[in-house]
Amino acid sequence: MGDPAAGERAGSGEQSAAGERATAGGGTAVAGEPLLAVADVSIAFGGVQALAGVSLAVAAGEAVGLVGPNGAGKTTLFECIGGRLRPDGGSVRFAGADLAGVPAHRRSRLGIARTFQRVEVFPELTPVEHVLVAARARQGGGMLWRDLVRRGTPRPDEVEQARALVGMVGLADAADVPVAALGLGHTRLVELARALASSPRLLLADEPSSGLDTTETAVIAALLRRIQRERGVAVLLVEHDLALVRRAVDRVVVLDSGHVIADGPFALVVADPAVRRAYLGRSA
Amino acid sequence: MNSLLNYAIPGVPYGCEFALMAVGLVLTYRATGVFNLAFGAQAFLSAFVYDLLQRADGMPQWVALVVSVGLLAPALGLALDRFLYRRIPQASTTGKVVVSIGVLIAIPELVPMVFSATTRTRLGHLWLPAGQVYLHLAQTPITGAVISTVVISVGVVAVLAAMLRWSGLGLRMRAVVESRRMAQLEGIAATRVAATAWVLSSVLAGLAGVLLLPQMGSLDPTQPLEFTALLVAGMTAAAAAGLTSLPGAFVAGIAIGVLETVVQQELPSGSVVAQGIIPALPFVLLVAVLLLNPRLRTLGRDSDPLASVDPPPPQPAVTTRDARLALPMRWGFRLLVVAFLVSSLTWVSDTWVFPFGQGLAFSVIFLSITLVTGMGGQLSLCQATFAGIGAFTTGQLAAHLGLPVLLGALAGAALAAVVGAGVALVVARVSGLLLTLVTLAFALFADSVLFQFSWSGGGLAGVSVPRPQLGPVSFAGDRAFLLLAFVVLVASAGLVVAVQRGATGRMLAALRGSPAGAAAVGIDPARARVTIFALSGAMAGVGGALYGSIQGPVSPADFSYVVSLAFVLVVVTTGSRTVEGAVQGGMAYAVIAQALTYVPTRFAGIELILFAAGALTYAAHPEGIVEYQRSVWLERVNGLLRAHDRYRQERGGGVGPSRHGDGGYGSRRGAAPGAPAAAEVVGRG
Ligand SMILES: Nc1ncnc2c1ncn2[C@@H]1O[C@H](COP(=O)(O)OP(=O)(O)OP(=O)(O)O)[C@@H](O)[C@H]1O
Ligand SMILES: [Mg+2]
Repeated sequence: MGDPAAGERAGSGEQSAAGERATAGGGTAVAGEPLLAVADVSIAFGGVQALAGVSLAVAAGEAVGLVGPNGAGKTTLFECIGGRLRPDGGSVRFAGADLAGVPAHRRSRLGIARTFQRVEVFPELTPVEHVLVAARARQGGGMLWRDLVRRGTPRPDEVEQARALVGMVGLADAADVPVAALGLGHTRLVELARALASSPRLLLADEPSSGLDTTETAVIAALLRRIQRERGVAVLLVEHDLALVRRAVDRVVVLDSGHVIADGPFALVVADPAVRRAYLGRSA
Repeated sequence: MNSLLNYAIPGVPYGCEFALMAVGLVLTYRATGVFNLAFGAQAFLSAFVYDLLQRADGMPQWVALVVSVGLLAPALGLALDRFLYRRIPQASTTGKVVVSIGVLIAIPELVPMVFSATTRTRLGHLWLPAGQVYLHLAQTPITGAVISTVVISVGVVAVLAAMLRWSGLGLRMRAVVESRRMAQLEGIAATRVAATAWVLSSVLAGLAGVLLLPQMGSLDPTQPLEFTALLVAGMTAAAAAGLTSLPGAFVAGIAIGVLETVVQQELPSGSVVAQGIIPALPFVLLVAVLLLNPRLRTLGRDSDPLASVDPPPPQPAVTTRDARLALPMRWGFRLLVVAFLVSSLTWVSDTWVFPFGQGLAFSVIFLSITLVTGMGGQLSLCQATFAGIGAFTTGQLAAHLGLPVLLGALAGAALAAVVGAGVALVVARVSGLLLTLVTLAFALFADSVLFQFSWSGGGLAGVSVPRPQLGPVSFAGDRAFLLLAFVVLVASAGLVVAVQRGATGRMLAALRGSPAGAAAVGIDPARARVTIFALSGAMAGVGGALYGSIQGPVSPADFSYVVSLAFVLVVVTTGSRTVEGAVQGGMAYAVIAQALTYVPTRFAGIELILFAAGALTYAAHPEGIVEYQRSVWLERVNGLLRAHDRYRQERGGGVGPSRHGDGGYGSRRGAAPGAPAAAEVVGRG
């Protein structure tokens, strides 16, 4: 029961990975419940079963990779965790509480931050304003009166903190440029900074390197590691770039056609025949 | 049972009208994503021309029909597609709705200019003589109008359904709706499907209009928008069909026609129920369907699975202005304001002081549109209703409690804020098109029910709002009042700027930019909407009180839904995102109206046609065409200054005036970062 993914294993060819995953999972999970526990989540779009009973767990402060071929259901799983999609069945628990019926914006305030595969930035706002808006939203309430009293200027300490965060992701040069004028690499960094602004406990990053060149990808990889190590934020990373996954995470979950087919340390998972079949069988 | 039938049968022809409209609405919405609010105007045009031709001596009925419905209607449909909607396939649903509002307002304004403006009675009919009784059904007399309407509507819709099914057009249309991009990849000409849908729906509109003629009694070209019942019921039927199912829309239309007549006859008359509740039922039904039909939930969400292939919808350019321009422009603006005040307080004639004051009041009302549409990103079609609440509350409190006008205005603003928040709460879970339609339903409701009581808007008689008095100072004179209105406008503008620059403005910018991203950082969209609707309601309430006070007597007609639509057209033309836009709009709206008093009355429609034409560009220039032109000119001046710099540098060996930069990083979207500090961002979004 404490091993949510075990029931999902359909075939028998991935025995070794299963065993490894069990030890890995046991090593990272703190006593009691993991930070994020996805159990048996299913969702269908018309005839397409995008997720078919997916279970996985992320412990506090852990970095986990989520990989799988195109259309495997990775983004759909993120939407179920983030609250934009409601699963047909199964449960998502975060920090011990069931998230069923909790709307997306409330989940963010609970400590789930995310970045998007198709960037979802605010084109009119600058990176600093992105951070300001996220930090303020976390506090909630009372904005209107403060605006009227202060005639719209943010407090100096808020601006200070926002600039520090923007500097940390490496955007100091573009801190005051409306994001509409920035390139894709920069906007992905803006999304990261914005996600960190709400001091999350879990960061869901959906293909943060897609569309970026190798140097930009390296920046993102290093940043993700820093976020996890220095800030203690748990990271669930969806990525096709396996080199980035290897550098950024401790453990990998493989999704294929809505099923978890492997879960364990990076080296073992990529050697798994079922995983190879899922990738090569599709693209060959 | 028999008596129920007696009530139901007269409802069927009405139901057929509703059904035609519903089918037409669904058709264009499905094929092009346009919720065509102009449907009623298209119906009016064909009906008008049909009646006109019918009056000509010796003109056979069928010729009039062919010209008005067979030629004019399809031509209009093609023109709408070709010149308007085909150019904006990527625009948001809101952008498309604004364009259709432009058409809705422009067509009836054009008609009296082209033809004459005399009211016509004893209108023409189609096929069977309207009044003649042909048979009895369950003791109900069945007239020629009923038979014509039912037979023709059912026949036409049956033909349409057969066409959609057997010619494969229906299938292609479904494909286009599922994914425009995918359909194009499959070789379906999405543009052809769209054009067909426009032609078909326009013919339906023409037919509905012609069939409606005998029921209308009179046709007044200057009051052409008395299609309220048709509009509300047609929208309800279309919404009940989830805006997707054509047969569903047809059946729902007839059902609503029957339901409304039955309810009207069955409920006790002469009571509170008859006066208040029965007229309100159609609106309640519309709002209920809009909010409760689960098939409308996904509406307005970006549902094309291949949407990411398309370029993003147009973002207004980020305009920078050279630092050297800042000072002259600021002083120029101040000079202009002072010149305006001094001249209108001294030598400007009384004829013009009055419209200037009106313009200031309109500006305050328009700032409420800046709040809700420019900043909140939601198109509200009931801002004139909020203004009316402000004006009527002020007038009623002054008349019955003797409350000073300034206090009354505050009370009116508070009430309008509460109502605004209430509207936003009712629609808490929806946004975009659904929210817009609910605000329209509310405006229509206020128009025909809420404002008709003696305790509210006073019906036809209206309410009189006195001019304010502050201690010994009276604002009864037009010049004194203008000064007061100016002060109120400045305070309102200051408030809007503070909200825009502050955390609330950033939050709203986030919601506009990306709802998904906003939710991901913890912004509650429903709460944000309630806040902005309350604020906007209050602003409109203050503006309405000002307007009422300058007019003296005001009636519900001053704040009707058509007025709300006109307000929206003006503001989206002059710029809904800036304070300047609202003020320019307010002044232009009043001043142009005054100027047009010098031309023959049938040309008074020019003003709204101008603004409607401006609104037609909204989808391409969401910042407002006037604002857009302004930034284009600013860019030209920037360019001249840069050229001047280069010239000086070349001549002076590179020792240019280096204290200002070369114009900035992002004068156009997509430019590279690395901003020289001397350029200042003046307008974004
Ligand atoms: N809104 C939707 N409507 C219909 N089908 C959908 C929708 N969203 C996802 N799907 C389908 O669900 C499946 C999983 O999609 P998802 O986007 O989660 O895959 P993914 O693993 O993120 O793929 P990629 O690596 O390409 O991002 C796909 O078959 C997709 O077509
Ligand atoms: Mg994905």
